[in-house]
Order: sequence, then structure tokens, then C-alpha cells
Amino acid sequence: MKSAMRLRKAGPGKKAFILLVQCGLTAYALLILYPLFHMVMSSLKSPRDIMLDAFSLPQRVSWDNYALVWSGKGFGGYFLNSLLITGGSMLLVVLLGSMAAFGLARYKFRGNTLLSLLFLSGLMLPLKAAVIPLFQIVKGMGLMDNPLSLLLVFTAMGLPSTVFILCGFMKTIPSSLEQAARMDGCNDLRIYRQIILPMSAPSIALVTIYNAVPIWNDFFFPLVFIQSDRLKTLPVGLSSFIGQHATQWDLLFTGLSIAILPMLALYLAMSRYFIQGMTAGAVK
Amino acid sequence: MIKASDGKKAAWITFFVLPGAAVVFVFILLPLFMSLFNSLFDWNQLIRGEFVGLENFHKLFNGYPYRQRFINALGNNLKWFVVSMLVQNTLGLLFGYALSRRIAGRGAYIRILFIPVLFSLIAVGSLWGLYLKPKGMVNNLLILLGRPDLRRAWLGDGAIATYALIAVNIWRWVGFPTLVFMSAVDNVPEGCVEAAYLDGAGEWRIFLKIVLPLIVPAIAIVSVLTVVGSLNVFEQVYTMAGLDGPPNYATDTIGTLFYRTAFGSVDSGAPEIGVGSAIAVVIYLMTFVISLISIRLAKSKEVEL
Amino acid sequence: MTKYLCLALCLFLTALGSPSARGEGVTEISFWTWRPEDTAFYESVIADFEALNPDIKVVQNAIKNTEYNTILAAALASGDGAPDVFMSRAYGGLQTFADSGYILALDQLMPELMLFSEFARGGALSVTDGKMYGVPAVSQTMLCFYNAGVYRELGLSVPATWDEFLENLEACQAAGYDALANGTKDGWCCESLLGGVGPSFYGGDGFYDRLIRGETTFMDPAFVEAVQKVQDLAPYMPDLFEGVDYADMQASFIYEIGVHFIGGSYEAGYFSLQNPQLEYGVFAIPGEKAEDPAYVSVYADMNFSVSAASRKQEAALRFLKYLASPRFGQQMVDQLAMVSSVPGVDVSANPFIAQVLALQENATPYVFLVGFRYKQPTGSSLFQSAAQDLMVGKATAEQTCQIVQEGVAVYYEPFWA
Repeated sequence: MKSAMRLRKAGPGKKAFILLVQCGLTAYALLILYPLFHMVMSSLKSPRDIMLDAFSLPQRVSWDNYALVWSGKGFGGYFLNSLLITGGSMLLVVLLGSMAAFGLARYKFRGNTLLSLLFLSGLMLPLKAAVIPLFQIVKGMGLMDNPLSLLLVFTAMGLPSTVFILCGFMKTIPSSLEQAARMDGCNDLRIYRQIILPMSAPSIALVTIYNAVPIWNDFFFPLVFIQSDRLKTLPVGLSSFIGQHATQWDLLFTGLSIAILPMLALYLAMSRYFIQGMTAGAVK
Repeated sequence: MIKASDGKKAAWITFFVLPGAAVVFVFILLPLFMSLFNSLFDWNQLIRGEFVGLENFHKLFNGYPYRQRFINALGNNLKWFVVSMLVQNTLGLLFGYALSRRIAGRGAYIRILFIPVLFSLIAVGSLWGLYLKPKGMVNNLLILLGRPDLRRAWLGDGAIATYALIAVNIWRWVGFPTLVFMSAVDNVPEGCVEAAYLDGAGEWRIFLKIVLPLIVPAIAIVSVLTVVGSLNVFEQVYTMAGLDGPPNYATDTIGTLFYRTAFGSVDSGAPEIGVGSAIAVVIYLMTFVISLISIRLAKSKEVEL
Repeated sequence: MTKYLCLALCLFLTALGSPSARGEGVTEISFWTWRPEDTAFYESVIADFEALNPDIKVVQNAIKNTEYNTILAAALASGDGAPDVFMSRAYGGLQTFADSGYILALDQLMPELMLFSEFARGGALSVTDGKMYGVPAVSQTMLCFYNAGVYRELGLSVPATWDEFLENLEACQAAGYDALANGTKDGWCCESLLGGVGPSFYGGDGFYDRLIRGETTFMDPAFVEAVQKVQDLAPYMPDLFEGVDYADMQASFIYEIGVHFIGGSYEAGYFSLQNPQLEYGVFAIPGEKAEDPAYVSVYADMNFSVSAASRKQEAALRFLKYLASPRFGQQMVDQLAMVSSVPGVDVSANPFIAQVLALQENATPYVFLVGFRYKQPTGSSLFQSAAQDLMVGKATAEQTCQIVQEGVAVYYEPFWA
């Protein structure tokens, strides 16, 4: 819908509504930007000031903590591992997820509902609940201390919501497009690749960011499956700053500030799709 | 919808669906059902004993302290659901609608809205922990506003701790329903709205009579994810309050109850895998049934249009 | 494009996944801890061990404390996916893994364990079969830290009676300090309060032993009185203390806002590390009369165990023997300021530990942790939750004790009579 909602020419009721929403959005934006700013500022402060003088600005700007965390605490390596594992998992999630969603949304067949439920039921409980059998499965496949284990588990974690959301979006794409392509002699794979996939781009952007973040930030499964230091991921590095009786607040905030960067970059890249609007092919 | 019934169809369906289904089956459903299966056995610490049928469910629903804890926790999950549904999704709808209608500053808002989702829970917990503690930002703000009497121990006061956690979660997630609703409203055909304008319909009427019915599928997606999210609340409570749902179980949810029962903890003691798995089965069934009902409900509304 | 990306990724992952080259004849064993804050310490310990045992390589893996039990359980349940050597919890936390048959019993393999004190061995003992399943590492003492600088400034001295203790707290409050740094947002900090305050009121060892045998209960007037004393401290705690968490408590004491900190002796290392200028001392919180000895709660904390499924038991046991040696105990004392359980360690060089050991002369087991953490609901979890209501005045001491008594009595047979 392109008809803009502008203050000009609006009646008093609508004016009040627009102002109200503007206030809400502005307040929310501030509520988001401040913690982001605060997190980076905290990484430049002493542990004392973080705890007792939380809202002061750093006394001097020194990036020593970043150097320490990046090379001294091995975050450089963790960062690369995380990037590869999250990137690889998301590639698989989007590929397998969009394929499955295509299969479920665009074909009518017996067992369709059952298969959809099978995917959906992966959302019903956190996978953490099944860590003991999962450990046995991964070990049985000989994947302990192998990044492939994370790649597969994270892919599995991302698939249910991806299939659920994409399936909902794909069902609303008019079938006339597809029939036209079929007339032109396109086979199913080409319909998927050249028609449905491009039209689903905005919703794919949505599921990408929706799933990449939890995968990027998960420290539980890397703790379970990875033992070698050289294979560890960024969140595991972060968790090492939180001790049983001692937490290194300054380094923790430094690590957190580093960790959010790739996700910010990914989101800003994806936000193009949201701003342009999800035209044809999104939710009806 | 492809209706071709040639033999190739089955092959294509297999080609598209099987790889994803296989990964989900091996790494989610298989371990999940293996652990749900555990609820039918007696357990000595981590060693599986005899088959006991529904004994563990009996313990969960009748035995001390599980029964009390379960009812209490379920009540908190209900709070999560109701408040998220009312506040988070309403805000999301409001924001999404306004953004779709090209409200001033749209591009900037869209770029900012989703940032909280990008924070890891450790970051959310640490930052909001600093804001909500007794000498934190929220209380300082209240002093500045001249209302020191409104200061609270936000995360330590049993009457409000759950709501404080929900508020932080809403802060974190409002961007998601906003984006979903925004894209849904974006796709409402321009013509319908224009026609209504020409008929002299007001903004509110257009929203209610034209936009809302057309975005039911989006509402269904958001509602189902809210149901699933509310019944699965775990990390938020675990990170910001604790595994025991302090103070005095005021923030306990079935997720935390499950986790500490099934896995035990330093303070809560040895794992009770049998009862813990029974809780998991109950969570699973409840989520499943309620999501199914939501999907059906949404579908029936869709047909009415 | 995507295809090449996938290919590159696969190659990279395969490269990462392949085992690293190992030296000839060197046995590599894995060692898990729940102490990320001590990673550097254990690196130096391992370096020392490897210098003495060049044919063994130890690989440390520090896991976040709160996830440790879950991950260890998953690893042990899988058989040989388990670490060779790992830190195990004491008492109830050890029992779970010992009863499941995942830990190697050490009685025959390490006779030197008999030289450890009976109290230290208690934390590594299975109550089911009476065997030893770990090398006891340290003991912890629940006591009261005080800021010695502030005491000097205000002319206060270490209290000899409960009333003097309260007077000190009042003097601190009058001078604008937080008398106590403690808060109750984290349940286990409530248990620490009882561990510090209680023992002088429920009268030393006699009570604990009678309780364990079922000759008395948590409704014992002395115990109720102890819980009452904990509640009496609420006015001296910080504003809105129910929202003050563990990290806030530590910061308050470390940066000299709170003058007293009721907690465990394990805090000392972190206190000194964060604020080297901080002058602090410790005392046992006294009872009503000056002539009665003041008691502290003690417990054995942390064991080192070997996985029953380990294929490298010979090397693992050699590392364990090292961890049971005074050479290791000494490093524990010198570098972590922890009270090592290893017999024959010289603590004189560390005045803090000498002071803690002196307080242990009058000690009683830390009641819930030592005796009532074996089954759900544990005494600890019952008390921690109930005490959060107690401290804000929503429950009385009697009600708190009753909740604990009824909860424990569900499974604790000596209470059934």
C-alpha cells in the first residue's frame, strides 16, 4: 500500500494517531540505540565503573580491551569459526528450508499436512531438552569435536521455523505465474529457482535474520560438541568471561560489542528488502 | 498449486522435501522423541530402569512438589502469552501498519527496529540487569521524575519480576511482528484502499474492514510463534532471574521447571529424568495442540473473506 | 557461486575436523573444569605436570559453571565421549554420577586418599557404597568478611556477641555505608546468609549430627532462632536488597560501599584481584554470649575424578595423583587463595588462609549443601526460595523452617519416624 500517512491534510483524529505512533517509534528507537551505545561504552570502562557508575562515559578512550580480547583471548580465531559455522548453517537452512517449503506449499499430496506437522513439531521444544540423546547421535556419527556437528545441528534448529514461515509466504504466490512457466516448458526445479525463489526473497531475508541470530549467539551446543580450543566459537569465548564466582565485565562487554557487528552488518544488508517493501509474493 | 499426478511428481516432492526432513528428523525429532520416551521409565540417577507406564505423569500431577510447581509455572506461562499477545503483537501491528503507510522516518525506523533481536541473551541480560537493578537506570529515572516512591527491585520483587522479564522480552522482539505485519499490509492491494477512500471511509474503518481481514495469514504466523514462544520460555528466565525462577518461584515457567527437574543443578539436586521428561511431553503436547487450534482458527477466518 | 562457496566451506571444515598431529608416545588426556576464571591457573598447573611427565599431554576445557552438569551428564552418559579427568561436585552432586557408574572408584587405586581429613573425604564419598570417587580439592568456609579500613576509620572492633555485631552494623549505617553488602535476588546467596549467621545459634556439631539421624528436625527451636537471626539482618541490607544480585554484592564490598559481606572464603581471591588496595578481614558471626565460641559453616568443595569409561586411565590416574599432591595444593593456596584439602600443605605464607583455618576450629557442616542436596527438592532449593520471602517479611522464620522440613521429609527417611 503506497498511500502515505502524512500529517498534512489529515483530520484531527488521524493527526493525533500519527503523533502517537511517531512518539512510540521514537521512544522505542531511543530505547534500542541507548543499550547499543551503552554496551560499546562499557567495553571502554573499568569493571568498577561498569558496576557502580554504569551511566558515566569512559574516562578515556582506549581500545586495549579490544586488542586483548581479539588476540590475547583468541577471539580472532573464534570469530572466523563462528562466521564459517553460522554462514554454512544458514546456507543450508535457506537452501533446504526453501526447498522443503516449496515442496509443501506448491504440491498437493497425501501426507502433506503430516509432513508440515513434522517440521512444525521441531519448534515445540527447545533442542536443549534432548541434549543427551543428541550427544549420542552425534558421537555415533563420529562427529564429536568436529565443526560439522554444529553445522548439522544448527541447520536442524533453523529449519522448522524457516519451513513454517516460508511455506506461509509461498502459498500466497499466484499459481498463474507458475502455470505460465510450465507452458514455456520449465521443469519444477526451474520454477523453484527462477520464479518462486526470487519472489520469496524478502521473506527469505526475514527467516535468514530470524535464524542467523540465535545460531550466531548460541554457546550451548558448541560447549557440548567442541572441545578443541581452535574450533571454539565466539559465544563460547564470551561464556569464558563469566566465571563461577568472578565475571570479567569489561572483557565481556568488549566481546559482546565485537559479536554484534556481523549481525548488524547482515541485518543492514537485509533491511533493504524490508524497506523496499515485500511486493508480490509476500504475505497476502 | 501443482496438481499434476504423473509419476514424476512424487520424485519432485521427494527431491524438494526429503533433505530438509531428513536433517530435522535425525537431529531434532529423533533425539526429542528419545527423550520423551524416557518419561515412561523409572530412573536411578542417569541410568534407565524399568518401564513404569504413566507413573511419572502421575507424580507430576499429584506428587509434591511437582504439582504445585507445575501449576505455578503454567500460570506464569499464561502471563507470558497474554501480555506478549496483547502488548507485543498490538505494538507490532501498530508499528507495522504505520510503517507500511510510509510514516515519516520509515527507513530509519526499519533499520533500528530489529537491532534488539541481534543482541545475544548474555548482552540483553547484562544490560537490562544494569538498568533494572535497585540502583539502576529505571529507578534513577524515577528519582529524576520526582517519583522515588515508585522505585522497585524490578527483578527481585515477586509481584512484578515476571512482568519485568516480559517487558524486556517485548523490547527484544517487537521488531519481528512489526516486520511481518508491515510486509503483510504492504501487500494489501492499493485498489481496495483507494476505493474505500473514495467512499469516504475513515482511516480506522479502512483498517478494520479492509486491512485487518486481509492480513489474517500474517496474524496466524505471529500468533502461532507467540504460542510456541510463550510455552517454551526458558532462556530469558534462566539468564535474567535464575533456574529456580526466583524470588520464590515467582518467575518460574514450565521451561525452567523442566530443565532443573530433568537435568538437576548444583542447588536443585540430582536429575529426575523420568518426571522431567514427563514435563517435556506435556509441554510438547500443549504446544502442538494449541498451535494446531490457532492454525485452524486462522484458516477458518481466511475462508470467510 | 553458491556451489563454490559450499565446496570451500566443506574443505575448510574437513581441514578443521581432522585430528591434529600428536607427538610420538605421548598420551593426550582431556580435563574439564567449571572454572573459566581459573583457566590460566590450570594452564600453569598443567605445564608443571607435563614437565614432570613428558609422556602425558593434558588438554583443559573450561565450561561455563551453570551448564557444566548438563554437558558433563551428556558426555558421561555417552561412554567414551566423556573427559578422562574432570572436576566433580561434592556430596549430592557427586552422588548422581557415582551411582550411575560413570566415575572410577579410587579407594584401591589411590591409598594416599586415606591421609586426607575425614571431613574432606566426606565430599568425595558416595553415601550408597561408601567408596571414594574423587580427590578432594578444597574446603570452603561460610563467614563474614569486613572492611578493615572502615573498621579502623569508625573505631570498630571484631564483634564478640550478636549484639555487638548489630551495633557495628548500625555504626556503619550511621556513617553512610551499606552495613551489609548482601542481597537476596540470587537464591543461593540466602543460603550463604544462613551459613554465616546460623551456626553460632544452632550450636555447633551436635545439631547437625542429630538432624542427620532424625533425632531433631528443622523445626528445632535453635534452628528456627538461627533463621530468625537471618531475617533480623534485613534492615542492615542495602535499599531494595531483594533486587541486589551476586555481582552487585561483590562490587559493593570490593569498591567499599558495603562494609560486611556474608559469604564463602572462596571470595578472597576475586576481592583482592579486583581491588588490591582493599583491606579486609574475616570473622565468624558470634552468638548471644561472648564466652560461647563463634561457629562457621564448612563444606568440601570440588573433587577431581576419572571417568570410568576412560581408555587412558593410567595417564589419567597419574594426573590425579599429581592433583592429590602437596605440590598442587600449594599452588592452590598461593595462587587462588583457596583452602586446599591436600594434607601437608604449608599455609603459613598466606595469612588469610591461616585465619580461615583458625576459624574452622569451631565448625559445623554447611547444613543443606552437605546433608540435603541428594534428592529433589533439596534442602538448599527449599530454603533458598522460602528465604527470599522471609527476608522481605512475607514469611516468618517458623514458616520458612516448616517449608524446608515438609519438603525434605517427603524423601528423607530419618524424618519419617
